[in-house]
Amino acid sequence: MSSELKTSIVIPKQGTTIRRKKFFTRRDVAGYLFSAPLLIGIVVFSIYPMIGALILSFKKSSQTFEGDWAGLNNYKYVLTDSLFWQSIYNTFYMGILSVVLGVSLSFILATLIHNISWLKWRNFFKGVYFLPNVVSLVATSILFSFLFNPGSEGLLNYVIGLVGIEPIGWFTDPKYARFSIVIMTLWGMLGYNTIIFIAALTSVPRDLYEAAEVDGANWLKKWLYITIPYLKPIIIFMVIIGTINAMKRFTDVWLIGGTAGNPAGSLMTAVLYIYRNGFLSSQMGIATAASYILFFFILVLTIVLMLTNRKSNFD
Amino acid sequence: MNGNVTDKNSRRSKKVADWILTGVLLIGSLVMIIPFIWMVLTSFDWAARLKIPFPPRFWPEEFSFKTYQMAFTNIPMLKYMINSIIVSVGVIVVSLLSAVFSGYAISKLKFKGANIVLLLALSTMMIPFEMTMIPQYLMFAKIKLLDTYWSFFLPALNYAFGTFLAKSFIDQLPGSLREAAIIDGANEFTVFVKVYLPLCIPILATMIILQFLAVWNDLLWPLLALKTPDKYTIQLGLAMFSYNKDLPLPSVIMAATTVSLTPVIVLYLFLQRYIVESIALSGVKQ
Repeated sequence: MSSELKTSIVIPKQGTTIRRKKFFTRRDVAGYLFSAPLLIGIVVFSIYPMIGALILSFKKSSQTFEGDWAGLNNYKYVLTDSLFWQSIYNTFYMGILSVVLGVSLSFILATLIHNISWLKWRNFFKGVYFLPNVVSLVATSILFSFLFNPGSEGLLNYVIGLVGIEPIGWFTDPKYARFSIVIMTLWGMLGYNTIIFIAALTSVPRDLYEAAEVDGANWLKKWLYITIPYLKPIIIFMVIIGTINAMKRFTDVWLIGGTAGNPAGSLMTAVLYIYRNGFLSSQMGIATAASYILFFFILVLTIVLMLTNRKSNFD
Repeated sequence: MNGNVTDKNSRRSKKVADWILTGVLLIGSLVMIIPFIWMVLTSFDWAARLKIPFPPRFWPEEFSFKTYQMAFTNIPMLKYMINSIIVSVGVIVVSLLSAVFSGYAISKLKFKGANIVLLLALSTMMIPFEMTMIPQYLMFAKIKLLDTYWSFFLPALNYAFGTFLAKSFIDQLPGSLREAAIIDGANEFTVFVKVYLPLCIPILATMIILQFLAVWNDLLWPLLALKTPDKYTIQLGLAMFSYNKDLPLPSVIMAATTVSLTPVIVLYLFLQRYIVESIALSGVKQ
């Protein structure tokens, strides 16, 4: 195709000389003008801040770019700070649990909804399960801090009390706080994943199932050997998006656990650590160093997950 | 073997399966909905203004609108909502213009370096906001635009995902429309605005939905950028009020939370199909 284009340009000799004289065509000029807002946006709000953060991370704690150089001290500080490692541990703990539970539950939910014959019910369930997703994280956190009230007056404690379970200190007991956040996250994100899975399920070719039915496969076999393998790229995609979002957890833990990530630091996350150092103790150098380390973690995780996808395609 | 009998049987078992599935999913949706219902009903419970009632109840003991009155007088909810609307509209206008112009240019103008622009946009999409927030904060502090809504409108220029959405949408539109209009003497700007922009309405609607939900629900950047309580967005105002743990007022906080949700919930009830489609599209496209 491209060679065809080239030859068609070369043939008329006069044409080429005219083309060479005009370096920018009318299309080029318009193209640059049309892309200018985006390019300015990318340079000023992505590239410049990335470089700025890198420079800051090598500076002594300062609120401007003019401070003294700190060498690797900020990175050394963060990497030896037990609070940072605790925040990474908490972030991963809540992240892995919510991604594993969230993706598998929503996948099951999506297949259930997809398999109902009645279109009206299907649309109804899509709507209901997705509803929590439009609710802000602020509202969700406020709502759940009432539902998860540690006293017996909390709705959830009352319900489990009916079957004889002692009240649980959901957000106030360090043993349960992280898991309670996971439950809350599931409530919020289940619908989002489900909608995307349903969209993907409709794209599975029907004749695959029909061929399997001829061979006598039941629904479980069809699900295991056709649906899951066919949707694997989407599953991996959901895991990647979920992981990246989980690494950035801030709003809910900040509202529920405060800047100390209470109870007992069990809700301290990496972004909360960055926020604390940068905006509460004005140590922008340490905060940006921590943000680069977090970015490194996200990058490695994303690459590993993408590689698992590629590997399976070669099998 | 009679094919008719097995056919009837399988149809009957499919119907049974449908009923079981619907039953299971109904129970599940009840679990999803109960938190909302409880919040809305408790928000009308004047008796719960100082303490969450025990044993928990759904129906208010002292039904009253006074909780809402308090929410609007103690917390300037109306002001926060207006602020959020201003921020959302500004961000949507700026980001959509930036996205649809650049998406069109990459797709149809095929200028020198169009692919580089697309690659640049796609790669910056991977940079999380949390990475850039500190330098961005310092930058706005330096040019004295912190604590103004410009700190929301300007970064909206960088809506790379929108560019990507617009580009793949415009790819499906015929390029011959542009050529015909050019022959008729139209300039590139007119071609875009008069011919292609009206055809882009579906993808613009998708972007409006996605951006509105993102901006309306955001907390982190408002928390950093806004200092004056008068300028708070709804999420920041609500967060700051409920952050004060010495002031319990449960049913008043729930009234305020309910108010903060009304615009999105109302929008959702009316545009449910489009919102669900937009989210599905954004997931499949990414």
